[in-house]
Amino acid sequence: MEQQNVNNYRKPLQWGELDPNRHRNMFVGMWAWMWQRITAVAIIFLLGLHVTLTYKPWLQFLLLLAVTFHATLGLRVILLDFNLVNVKYQRALIWGLTALGLVIAGLIWRAM
Amino acid sequence: MAQEQGNTRKVAIYRYDPTVGGDGHYDHYDLHIEDETNTTILDVLLRIQREQDSTLAFRYACRVNMCGSCAVVINGREGLACKTNVSDFAESKDLTIRPLNHFPVVKDLVVDMGPFFEKYEECLPFFEPRDMSEEPAIIRPDSIERRAIGFSTECIACGCCVSSCTMVNYHDGYAGPAPLNRAFTLLLDSRDALYEERLDRVLQSCYNCRTEFNCTEVCPKEISCTRSIKFIQRLAIKEPFRAKAKSKAEAAASAPAHGENVAAEPCAAHASGEAGQCGCDENLDTGRRNFLAKVTVGLGAVSALTVGGVLASTFVGQSLDKKEPVWVPAGKLGDLKEGDVTTVNLRYVENVGFYNQERVKPVMIYRNQEEDKVVVYDSRCTHLGCSVHWDARQKLFLCACHGGAFELDGSVKAGPPPRPLATLEHRVENGNILIAMV
Repeated sequence: MEQQNVNNYRKPLQWGELDPNRHRNMFVGMWAWMWQRITAVAIIFLLGLHVTLTYKPWLQFLLLLAVTFHATLGLRVILLDFNLVNVKYQRALIWGLTALGLVIAGLIWRAM
Repeated sequence: MAQEQGNTRKVAIYRYDPTVGGDGHYDHYDLHIEDETNTTILDVLLRIQREQDSTLAFRYACRVNMCGSCAVVINGREGLACKTNVSDFAESKDLTIRPLNHFPVVKDLVVDMGPFFEKYEECLPFFEPRDMSEEPAIIRPDSIERRAIGFSTECIACGCCVSSCTMVNYHDGYAGPAPLNRAFTLLLDSRDALYEERLDRVLQSCYNCRTEFNCTEVCPKEISCTRSIKFIQRLAIKEPFRAKAKSKAEAAASAPAHGENVAAEPCAAHASGEAGQCGCDENLDTGRRNFLAKVTVGLGAVSALTVGGVLASTFVGQSLDKKEPVWVPAGKLGDLKEGDVTTVNLRYVENVGFYNQERVKPVMIYRNQEEDKVVVYDSRCTHLGCSVHWDARQKLFLCACHGGAFELDGSVKAGPPPRPLATLEHRVENGNILIAMV
């Protein structure tokens, strides 16, 4: 690449600037990845609250939900990483594992 | 008549003129398309260039989804202009066409693929035969190796996957999906001679993948680059073991026969000054290293077994054994307040695994002489096991931390406890009350 040409180039489009359809570039797998990170931050935040505010049912419920989402999505990545599930089922894994996790969380909440 | 059958689409195309500079903008065009199912985005671009704006720049070559040069972002998603039909988008929807992400824009829809191919070349995308042979290689289509590679060899290096990958934006050193996919096809090829070199180059890169599957979603050839990257990651896990095995094999190959001391003289590679290529360390002979490794592993195993055994017998064994209750005296029955609750600290010795431990256990005893009734309540809350005490003023058992409250009969009055207070077995002998501690 010649230096003189580089100067004439426009810097790369990184986020689809000016594109009204930029949101279409986020697929379900990426939402899963983002949601797992959001819940990770939420767990840290809610755990801090949990220690500070002893027993609050709504807080415990939110914490249980955050842990459920984080764990199920993490399990999906582990299954894919170690080739325990074919990658073509990656979408089904999101819905399937999340549904399973929510059922288990419901049972735990009921038993508490 | 033909005009009535078609549909007029609004097309927004990103424009950037290098002689003007700036951030670029969208130009809007109206285009009447008679048959949308037979009109590709490339046709749209060609028609706009010929009929409305001859300065529009875009790139294409084969027109049949083989060269990958017409890759653009159409309505937010990467794709080949020659493969995407106008009918793929709803009739009412406008078309927005812009260049790929993460590539410098040369002009309009044309991007500079130079950085992409530089990373592609870093992954050694060529085949280097291990054994020179005039005969064509026999590759069984049902072999594990060939099936694992699958369609990954179909990559046309269009750059759609790199454009959709967000991690390319965050990690400058990340090769991206397409180069890693190419490296994967060659890493799994047992005929290839550059396994180590190629793996060394992609080891750092492969862990930048965040399993978002964006590359898989947009690939016009329906290749899953994520799958390829996962394969490389698994190869990387085996890498330390492979390197160790290789150094062992090399050490064995260079070892003199009849059990001579291998540490007595340096290996051939060291003798010739090729440090770092022989796989051995001249400061530590292999016999001693092996001995130390075995001792470490042995000690580790013995320690793990010992600790595991102690923990198992203490916690698991205890719970499996049926324990006889210890009858602990709680004082004279007559000393307890009649019609009220008295808290008594029980002191007793409990056997815990290998040792005995003195315990102090508070219990709450309710005595009602009129009904000839004595109930011994456990002082642990049934929610999380925190301490419960008797509040004589409110006539309630109160939980120490969770706002829980129990009635005099042990039932839950308020708070989170899911069950009534637990009761303990007791008996009265010679006016003394004895409580069973399990």
